[in-house]
Amino acid sequence: MLMSPVVQVTDGAVELGGRPVLRGIDVAVRAGEVLAVLGANGSGKSTLVRTMMGLVPTVRGEVRLFGTPRADFREWHRVGFVPQRVTAASGVPASVREVVASGRLSRRRAFWPRRREDREAVEQAIDAVGLSDKARDGVSTLSGGQQQRVLIARALAGVPDLLVLDEPTAGVDLAHQEVLATLLRRMIASGTSVLVVLHEVAALAPLIGRALVLREGRVVHDGPLAGLVHGHRSGHEHEHPSPHRRLLDGTVEQSWRS
Amino acid sequence: MEILSYPFMQRALIAALLTGLISPAIGTYIVQRRLSLLGDGLGHVAIAGVGLALLTGQAPIPVAVVVCVIGAVLVEVLRQQGKATGDVGLAILFYGGLAAGVLMSGIAGAGAGALAQYLFGSLTTVTTSDLRLVAVLGVVVLIPTLGLAPQLFAVSSDEDFAQMQGLRVRLYNIMIVVLAAITVTLAMRTVGLLLVSALMVVPVAAAHNLVRGFYASLVCAMVVGTVVAVGGATASYYADTPPGALIVVLAIGVFALSWPISVLLARRRRVTPVLPELADDDQQVSAHDVAEQHEHRHRTGCGHPAVQHGDHTDFIHEGHRHAAHADHYDEH
Repeated sequence: MLMSPVVQVTDGAVELGGRPVLRGIDVAVRAGEVLAVLGANGSGKSTLVRTMMGLVPTVRGEVRLFGTPRADFREWHRVGFVPQRVTAASGVPASVREVVASGRLSRRRAFWPRRREDREAVEQAIDAVGLSDKARDGVSTLSGGQQQRVLIARALAGVPDLLVLDEPTAGVDLAHQEVLATLLRRMIASGTSVLVVLHEVAALAPLIGRALVLREGRVVHDGPLAGLVHGHRSGHEHEHPSPHRRLLDGTVEQSWRS
Repeated sequence: MEILSYPFMQRALIAALLTGLISPAIGTYIVQRRLSLLGDGLGHVAIAGVGLALLTGQAPIPVAVVVCVIGAVLVEVLRQQGKATGDVGLAILFYGGLAAGVLMSGIAGAGAGALAQYLFGSLTTVTTSDLRLVAVLGVVVLIPTLGLAPQLFAVSSDEDFAQMQGLRVRLYNIMIVVLAAITVTLAMRTVGLLLVSALMVVPVAAAHNLVRGFYASLVCAMVVGTVVAVGGATASYYADTPPGALIVVLAIGVFALSWPISVLLARRRRVTPVLPELADDDQQVSAHDVAEQHEHRHRTGCGHPAVQHGDHTDFIHEGHRHAAHADHYDEH
């Protein structure tokens, strides 16, 4: 039996405020695949992911999640979404455990108390991101990297088949990126599909199976990361870019500088 | 306790108890959504309801509930469709509601004076049928407020994520404003429509200082609200003042007391430092992570705290460190 793609966009187009943001998008994330969406700021990579997740409407084309048209999709527990870290703390400070527990709502019924499996899944998710000793702490008292890990744990609490991360490495230190890479490696090994938006491949490069590069709302590259860059950047190579590195600079970095 | 022997005081105290219990409960979600002034706007709409009741000779609470709920749904739908930004919608609520209320009570020949008892509360006016309605609607508000707490928490703190959990975000948002509208109206006999918003917000702010976590804040705010509402209503009997004023002054008193307590608690808990320890080891290679597009130029005294990091200076910027590098800033 042929397995339908986890996410499929056919001829997708998106407009925000009357301005075209994405055009002619044909993308499929296959089961068990790790797909990175790369591109400059404003290239539409976050919008693409938000469109796939049903947060942004399309003006043309079709989006399917696990083979189901997006409008009819109900199995939201199969998708774990990690949004870009919100810096502003919410009005009433919540603890790590409370925030992570809201990632379990897709598997819970309204007015029903938490079951034991809900509680266990929440603790496992907190443990998976290494924050067990901070479970009772207020999220706003944590560092940026730790807050990002809370959001990842929240996505893991639903035990998803597809993990979607929007710029998980933005503004966090190398140590955190290593934690993230280890975590993703474990998720991938267990068969989870991963869709990750990045503007810097950095520590995650060895994990990425396929890269999609967007430029001004169109797909300009869809294929192995190796076609873009060899090896991964680990230090201050900026002053002396290698010939291989230049390709990535050309497609990704310079376009956002301009 | 001689005041308990008066039937009107019994009714007033029960009404105060219910108001003190539900106002901070729904207020917790309102504060979480950063709409602390919503209750105030809804209070003004309820004044239009009271004016309409005076004009038509109906009982004020039921009419005010209906008018206030309609106003709340209208503003929330406009907000969701992006037709009115949150604060413009609230402003229309404020002025339209107040003006309509005063206008209608004037036409009814009651004048603005008749409105006063609804604006700041009045213990002697709680009738038996009022109390029955307050009790029924109080339970109607409390059941979803507590029973759907995880869902309402998710929707109030992160709408996108809540939607991706399969929650019907628009419906929950409308539910929050409708529950707030009912709460505001029920409070008009005790705290009054002009001060009810304080009872929705101030106990939540006090709870924030006293306990950690969202649900702990919710429960703590309800306890604070109940204590100040019953205490204020009792004291206003002896002081012969409108109960609303005393209830709110008491709530702000609790908030003021909670402030030094929060400082003590924070010291004892030793809040985790936001920045990790600086790496002393110069050999350690850090990722070359370019900061987001950055117009601001960091320099000494630019407003961002500076820290020494090895051989250069980093500037602390929204919880991470920026170091100047060529024409941009690196994340350190």
